[in-house]
Amino acid sequence: MNLLIVLLIPFGLAAAAPGVCHLTNRLTGWLLAAPVAALTVLVAAWGPDVWREGPRLSHLPWAPSIGLSLSFRLDGLSWLFALLITGIGALVTVYAGAYLGAHPRLGRFYASLLFFLASMLGLVLADNLLLLFVFWELTSISSYLLIGFDQEREAARRAALQALLVTAGGGLALLAGFVLLGQIGGSFELSALFPQAATVRGHSFYGPILGLILLGAFTKSAQFPFHFWLPAAMEAPTPVSAYLHAATMVKAGVYLLARLSPLLADTQAWFWSLTPAGAITMLVGAITALCKTDLKQILAYSTVSVLGILTFLAGLGTVTALEALAVYLLAHSLYKGALFLVAGAIDHETGTRDTSQLGGLRHSMPLTAAAGLIAALSMAGLPPVLGFISKETLYEAGLRAPQHAVVLTKLLVVTAVALFAVAGAAGVRPFFGPPQAPGRQPHEAPVGLWLGPVILAFGGLLFGLIPGRLEQAVETAVRAVAPDRSVQVRLSLYHGLNPALMLSALSVAAGFFLYRLHARYPGPIEPWPALARLAPARAYESALLALNRLASWQTQRLQSGYLRSYLLIIVTAALGLSAVPMVMHRVVLPLSLDLNPRWHELLLGTVILAGIVTAVRTTSRLTAVASLGVVGLGIALLFAWLGAPDLAMTQLAVETLTVILLVLVLYHLPDFSRLTPARGRRRDATVALAAGGFMALLVLIVNSTESDSRLAAYFLEQARPLGRGCNVVNVILTDFRALDTLGEITVLAVAAVGVYGLIRLRLHGGRRA
Amino acid sequence: MSQYYTTTDHFVLVPALMLALFGCAVLLFEVLVFPHPRQRKWLLLFVLLGLAFAGAGVWRQQNFLASQGIEELTAFGGTLTVDGFAIFFNWIFLAASLIVTLISYRYLEVEGEHHGEYYGLILLANCGMFFLATGTDLITLFIGLELMALCFYILVGFLREDRRSNEAALKYLLLGAFSSGFLVYGFSVLYGLAGSTKLRAVADALASREPWDPVVFLALATTAVGLLFKISAVPFHMWAPDAYEGAPTTVTAYLSVGSKAASFALLLRVFLMPLGAAREVWEPLLAAVAVATMTVGNLAAVTQTNIKRLLAYSSISHAGYILLGLIAGNETGIKGVLVYILVYTFMNLGAFLVVVALRRKDLLGEDLDDLAGLVYKSPGYAILMLIFLLSLAGIPPTAGFIAKYYIFLALIETRHYVLAVIGTLYVAVAIYYYFRIVRSMFLAPLADTGPLTTSFGLRLALVVTGVLTLGIGIYPEPFLGFAQTSLAR
Repeated sequence: MNLLIVLLIPFGLAAAAPGVCHLTNRLTGWLLAAPVAALTVLVAAWGPDVWREGPRLSHLPWAPSIGLSLSFRLDGLSWLFALLITGIGALVTVYAGAYLGAHPRLGRFYASLLFFLASMLGLVLADNLLLLFVFWELTSISSYLLIGFDQEREAARRAALQALLVTAGGGLALLAGFVLLGQIGGSFELSALFPQAATVRGHSFYGPILGLILLGAFTKSAQFPFHFWLPAAMEAPTPVSAYLHAATMVKAGVYLLARLSPLLADTQAWFWSLTPAGAITMLVGAITALCKTDLKQILAYSTVSVLGILTFLAGLGTVTALEALAVYLLAHSLYKGALFLVAGAIDHETGTRDTSQLGGLRHSMPLTAAAGLIAALSMAGLPPVLGFISKETLYEAGLRAPQHAVVLTKLLVVTAVALFAVAGAAGVRPFFGPPQAPGRQPHEAPVGLWLGPVILAFGGLLFGLIPGRLEQAVETAVRAVAPDRSVQVRLSLYHGLNPALMLSALSVAAGFFLYRLHARYPGPIEPWPALARLAPARAYESALLALNRLASWQTQRLQSGYLRSYLLIIVTAALGLSAVPMVMHRVVLPLSLDLNPRWHELLLGTVILAGIVTAVRTTSRLTAVASLGVVGLGIALLFAWLGAPDLAMTQLAVETLTVILLVLVLYHLPDFSRLTPARGRRRDATVALAAGGFMALLVLIVNSTESDSRLAAYFLEQARPLGRGCNVVNVILTDFRALDTLGEITVLAVAAVGVYGLIRLRLHGGRRA
Repeated sequence: MSQYYTTTDHFVLVPALMLALFGCAVLLFEVLVFPHPRQRKWLLLFVLLGLAFAGAGVWRQQNFLASQGIEELTAFGGTLTVDGFAIFFNWIFLAASLIVTLISYRYLEVEGEHHGEYYGLILLANCGMFFLATGTDLITLFIGLELMALCFYILVGFLREDRRSNEAALKYLLLGAFSSGFLVYGFSVLYGLAGSTKLRAVADALASREPWDPVVFLALATTAVGLLFKISAVPFHMWAPDAYEGAPTTVTAYLSVGSKAASFALLLRVFLMPLGAAREVWEPLLAAVAVATMTVGNLAAVTQTNIKRLLAYSSISHAGYILLGLIAGNETGIKGVLVYILVYTFMNLGAFLVVVALRRKDLLGEDLDDLAGLVYKSPGYAILMLIFLLSLAGIPPTAGFIAKYYIFLALIETRHYVLAVIGTLYVAVAIYYYFRIVRSMFLAPLADTGPLTTSFGLRLALVVTGVLTLGIGIYPEPFLGFAQTSLAR
């Protein structure tokens, strides 16, 4: 079946979800889970094909002009993810129905959840980088809606936005990386890019590409220092935490790292950026998890830790490491999904998630307890659960690391010890610890609530007992990540008495000790008190605060609402835009200052200047208007002297009219007062002088450049023979440009009619009043 | 001298003629034929008819160019040129006018200012826009610009009883006239250099001069100031938030897409053709302006609580992104500019449509809180608004993503890495403030239980803009092709 059609099914299901909820309130979870389960079976059935025949590709050109095509690829890696997404998706769908009950917004919840499922499936199946990015952002948006689902709480809304900003912001970096990659490779198709791995690694863009893509992957997969959004996202309803923030979405970054490994890995830059980042994340996550008492917070930080381990493994890049990556990923999705769902069931039945309030629940909730215990065993890495095998391969990978194997293995052991204690605190103590007295009497959860965790936990147990059945899947997945290396996967509970097993025994012993120690200090602990001020979450908060402050400061500055300050800014900016480039380029102005003025010109200039100075300095409005009139008249006279009587007449008429109008308006204005402080006046004077100087300069420059004078010559020549007139201006108006004049007259007539209409309206209004 | 009004001249002018004729007819008919308020729907029919005739004219021009296999058709001795570029923009203008007309009827009734001249002004403004896209002569372009601007000055102040509207109109008028002064100064110097007002002649004259010739530079700088004001680029943007907030929301919608698209058409014509030779001069200039525009627009939008003001700042920042495409300047960049303007028209109109629906007799509907819990009251509107906002932010799979993608691709192709980084960072800021609206709609309890003000026209317009915003994002190919054919110059 075409992969595209498979993808459209969950999208359609998401669109139908509100309607289904509306029709069948109680059974919605089961009804919606059925098609998802069918999808799981379908995906599972593809497995053997993929193992035998290699990747399955489908390609549909979509928008070739931007390099976007609907191409999909199902290989070992995406098959593994697709199976997890659909399988856990089906279980979570059932679980959410029981968990949320008759919630009034259930329809919206399911629509968002299934939309996420579809987007995530698209992400892991996409063979085109742009397509992958599209799905990447879609998962961020659906995660936003799901985290903020409990909208009554401000914390939930805040966490939703935080998760969105971090992951979608990282997504932008990712896109930039993809675009650069596409520039080098000439295509966005992964299948076309893979053969060019050597070119990509040798290209000068390799560094930026790697950095940008890692930024995207690290934000999505909650690597330090971007990990803070994940614990905050625990505001989401528990099924969402289990599904998005443990099993699938947060693994998208790891998926991407694995997916692009053939293209980008095997360099020192790759190793030295991924391995330390992963190591820090796994340590920080595991240690912080130990200090928390909220079940979901504990699980969230342990998820951060595991994501660190997975990134670490991707950084090592050896076949063993990739094998460990695949197995650990699978084991983690199973046990962490189960533990989250168990935590939700506990919360649902007891009303609390505080581990210091919980204990002895095995009697009242036996099935949930069994699921929790097995999942915890897997997380602790104890046989015979899948978690044990995954930890063995993890140690194996550490021991065979290409460089610094000893240090890296030590870090892995420390993390595993901490996770052992965390597993006890989260999955064992609430059931098997000393009984506490919770607020209400707990009962076994309804079937919808225990089915999911039980299947997931026992799935882990089953695979632990028959790991051989996983070998093929893991092998194909590793082969998809490292296509040119020989891969031979052997999974079993007992590999012989090798160093990994001894490390395992050591970490179990240390972990048990730590667990007992941890039990004595139940209260929440601030893990890094000295570093609290530098915490990334704080940095995020201060960045947002700074953004808001900067924004309001800037807006107050620029957007005062006063026209005069707008004009000031516009004039200053226009001056700056013209002057700065000219100064920077040292443009030489072609000025001839050889003006050689005559006496009457000097006299007129003095009169005009005197008028200006008076207009500016006087405190009487009437004087100011009168002196402006003097300026205008002076200019009119200048025109007349320079041989443009028509221009002078126009100027005279306009000037007179303006003065009269101004005087009329003066009557309506409030009293004159000096509102502007001296500093403001000095600033205004500077800008005004600069602007005036600039305009003068402009006139001088334009004057000193020869301009095209063909038109003038033409009119002067042809006025007499063609227009039979001596006054060239008149000939132009009535002959050469007669149509223009007609138009002007029409406009004037229309304006006159308009004025008449207005006056009549005014008269009517006056009478009515 | 050749014949005056040839058939080609007529053929090219038909859309403008139709718009002007119907615009004037609407003005007259309101007074003479349909004086009664109940008869206004006939006026509306008239407007739609006018737009249809104008559309038919553009359609015939497009077909003619395609069937003859020619790139352009000039008329009036090179004053007007119909090419792919002009046709592309004319479709955008007509679509914007149509949508604004559809939504205005009910809105103006709610505002209590339903007068026929509103529609006349819309048509006349569209006529001005036609000349901005089609004109290839400095005078024609300037007159087109003023025709459009004058209509908008009146439209912005259309709510006569509303002081905000009055103030907005006055500010817009004064600042607009001031900036037109700059523009016409620049144009006159260009004319002085070339001895002709035809853009091609100006281009030839400038090509023969040094790009750093002081006269050329000063003409360029003053022209640029005038044009940048019209597209509300920083630091000439101050009129936009005030005018957008004070104007009737339908006019704000029209102003933010129609006027902006037309001003960009003018800017592209002027910067690519006559000033193209001086690219090395204006490229850093525009780059500085674009960065300032994105900075101020995006940052100022962060703290706004009035949706119209928020969208005003966001539309300022979009002007910055569009300028980036021009700065990149290669084929991808110019195509990106066209795609961006096309996409922006629909997504921005769509967002304003939702704001229009919020207005009621007893509710201004401009505050962010008025949207609270919209998803419970009218899920359809909330989801459409989500699509528009995602698109404005540039998140896939919406049209806005395709537009931004093109711009960034062009920047990377032309090695403008710093600009690309700055632009990308501001997208993150934009996500932040657009999601303040999303958060209000989806994650806040329902605040106002009153009904939305809808009408058939509004719903139709919403569906069209929504389908296009999502459709261009999901299947962009035909629209990209349309933009590609419009590149031909």
